[in-house]
Amino acid sequence: MSLIEPFQTPFMARALAELIILGVLGGTVGVVVLLRRLAFLSDALSHTIFPGVVAGYLLAGEDGVFWGALAAGIATAALLTLLTRRVAQDAALALLLTTLFAAGVVLVSRRSGYASDLTAFLFGRVLTVTPEQLWQTAAVAAVVIALLAALRRPLLLRAFDPVGAEAAGVRVGLLDLVVNVAVALTVVAAVRAVGMVLVIALLIVPAAAARVLSDRLTVIVPLACLIGAAGGWLGLVVSWEASIGYGLRLASGGTVVLVLVAMYGLAQAAGLVRRRVRLGRARTGLEAVQ
Amino acid sequence: MTWFDSSVHRALAEAVLVGALGGVVGVHVLIRRLPFFTMALTHATFPGIVIAALLGADLYLGGGVFGLLITLAVVLFSRVRGQDFTAATGIALAGGFALGVVLVSAQDGFAKDLTAYTVGDILAVSARDLAITAGIAAAVTLLLVVFRRELLITAFDPVGAAALGLRTALIDFILLAAVVVTVVATVPALGVILTVALLVGPAATARLLTDRYALLFPISAAIGVSCGVAGVWLSTVWNVAAGASIALLVGVVFGLVFLGSHGAALVRRRAAARPL
Amino acid sequence: MTERPPSTPALILDRVSVAYGDVPVLEDVTGTVNPGESVALIGPNGAGKSTLIKAVLGMVPVVRGRIEVLGGPPAQARRHVAYVPQADTLDPDFPISVEQVVLMGRYRWMGRFRRASRADREEVAAALEAVGLADRARDRFGTLSGGQRQRVLLARAIAARPRLLLLDEPFNGVDAVSQHALLEALAGLKAQGTAVVVSTHDLAIAHLACEEVCLINRHQFGFGPTGEVLTPERLRATYGGRALELRGDRVIVGQT
Repeated sequence: MSLIEPFQTPFMARALAELIILGVLGGTVGVVVLLRRLAFLSDALSHTIFPGVVAGYLLAGEDGVFWGALAAGIATAALLTLLTRRVAQDAALALLLTTLFAAGVVLVSRRSGYASDLTAFLFGRVLTVTPEQLWQTAAVAAVVIALLAALRRPLLLRAFDPVGAEAAGVRVGLLDLVVNVAVALTVVAAVRAVGMVLVIALLIVPAAAARVLSDRLTVIVPLACLIGAAGGWLGLVVSWEASIGYGLRLASGGTVVLVLVAMYGLAQAAGLVRRRVRLGRARTGLEAVQ
Repeated sequence: MTWFDSSVHRALAEAVLVGALGGVVGVHVLIRRLPFFTMALTHATFPGIVIAALLGADLYLGGGVFGLLITLAVVLFSRVRGQDFTAATGIALAGGFALGVVLVSAQDGFAKDLTAYTVGDILAVSARDLAITAGIAAAVTLLLVVFRRELLITAFDPVGAAALGLRTALIDFILLAAVVVTVVATVPALGVILTVALLVGPAATARLLTDRYALLFPISAAIGVSCGVAGVWLSTVWNVAAGASIALLVGVVFGLVFLGSHGAALVRRRAAARPL
Repeated sequence: MTERPPSTPALILDRVSVAYGDVPVLEDVTGTVNPGESVALIGPNGAGKSTLIKAVLGMVPVVRGRIEVLGGPPAQARRHVAYVPQADTLDPDFPISVEQVVLMGRYRWMGRFRRASRADREEVAAALEAVGLADRARDRFGTLSGGQRQRVLLARAIAARPRLLLLDEPFNGVDAVSQHALLEALAGLKAQGTAVVVSTHDLAIAHLACEEVCLINRHQFGFGPTGEVLTPERLRATYGGRALELRGDRVIVGQT
């Protein structure tokens, strides 16, 4: 199985570039999502931007999609803050997710042949990424990563000890808003490539796998980026091989996610071995002392 | 059975059944904080349905078996010390759905099949589907009634329940099994993404309306049924997707009740603050 | 020391050791609690107090040693043992009334199907009376203060008519009124012959309400009459040197 050969055509090379950028972005933001347990929020955001996508497209064509999605993402964050005053957070997220997504489906279903529009949104079209879209993704990634890097100390403090952070002068509300916006931007950028359903995988799986392998943030973040990018690369290779070698047309987005989940499984196995080795070492140490 | 010959009539009957079922099971989903898990479950049953379709087996069985497997995996996994239930659930969600997508894409007819799975097709419900849903609704309701005390005590205070001698692992399993089965029954109607609407919305709305545990169930069921029926009707009038209409109505009803209760609370506060 | 008629001890701990997997959590705990007596479990956070309570409930297996509850193994004695958790571990938004919470304590009598009988309702009323919250029966559990919720949880245990009562840090962060009510209710139970095991950080309460103390920090640092065992040296040993000595014989233990 060649790791380079599939990418000699421009569209595959662009797909690879897109997935590598998204892997790095997803890995970085994903660590924040993991530490702050924002998995459901991320999943909800990936669904609630749908009516924004539809509305943006109806109003301004292809260009309106990004801004429509962003507007929907911000509206979600605002509504969530309002709702969680009286309703449990995960119930509020579930409601926002389904209601807004349903609104998008209702809007889209008025037209005939809406199945393919829905499919593109749901499952992504990484193989049709244009150079402009690639630059857009890179720009979003640069902005979000720079933002998170600049805020890393208050972020860490807030994740570990929210009350202490507040006492130390961190503006927790503002910080949370920034994080939500960062997640929303990542979701909007990634939806085009892997589709709404699989965005959450890019956010959660690389970071979770990295967490299993290390306890130190300085290792976890770059490791997560590496795993995210590698997953994209291998996923594309596998789907290409399946298509060329076996005549199986496998959805690229789905294949990438399955590769990432497999990597997570390997990480878990490695983590298990690591724990056993450590425990064994501790036990022999104890016995030697006694 | 001439009434059931019309697809719209069958859709209405199905809407009543899943609306009531979702409403009742939804109270437990809400109280045990299971919405995210339920979302993962709906996505995880998807590959089961696909595999069953490929093998020519019964779709409900395929979805149910896969759902139960995922439930078992997530529960076992989260009992390992130091593992994050949220992360495990998210990975199960993404992985399950990706598997389904890849399996479907390996055949042809990608777009239409997937749309039916993700947003449902209640108007395509057959008389057989209806019978199965009715059976599931009856079985689940019976289960929830028989174990209602245990479910309440375990939900309120799991450690205390174990101390009282309740078999909490069994109770948890019964509840999760009820959720899995409800999901499997509802997905054909509302699809993978929108099923959660019926399992969370009516119960959350009922919670805003009352503080009394016993009342939550009938109120939630009533809301589920009304939204279901109204959604099907609306979809025939406006010519839009039925499952999505139901889910949208659930959200709108919740929103209205939320605003109403918020407004009522504000009025009460103003009245209390007014100088005598 | 008051004369006590000879009777089966409510609880016997005989060199009890508990482990979670490979990690030992409790080692060599030994002691006896007789009916009508109470013992305070004292030790820093993570010392194994909750684990010991769970072992007595039969929820956690014993790796070495033996626990005898009311003359038999823990699992058999569940009918006569009641447990009071910390109130703040429970969801305050739960849609349940004070009365319904206390009624849970009657589960053993009501089982799965039987409706609450008059006897059940009377026990609930009596239990709420014993903790001084009879007037709040219909209110939602979450609308009560922390201390009041703790009292409701004690009432739930009282309604179960236990012969052995286990409480996990019931006095943490509880206001003075509720603390007094809890102590009164516990005294009432002891007078009826119930044995009480209560874990606490509060040495004054141990002195006030418990005949015996058990000092634990994974190992046992003492088990016996309060006056004899609750000494500065033993406390310092238990808390690993994180105890402050004041006025020679009184010891204030720092928050761990």
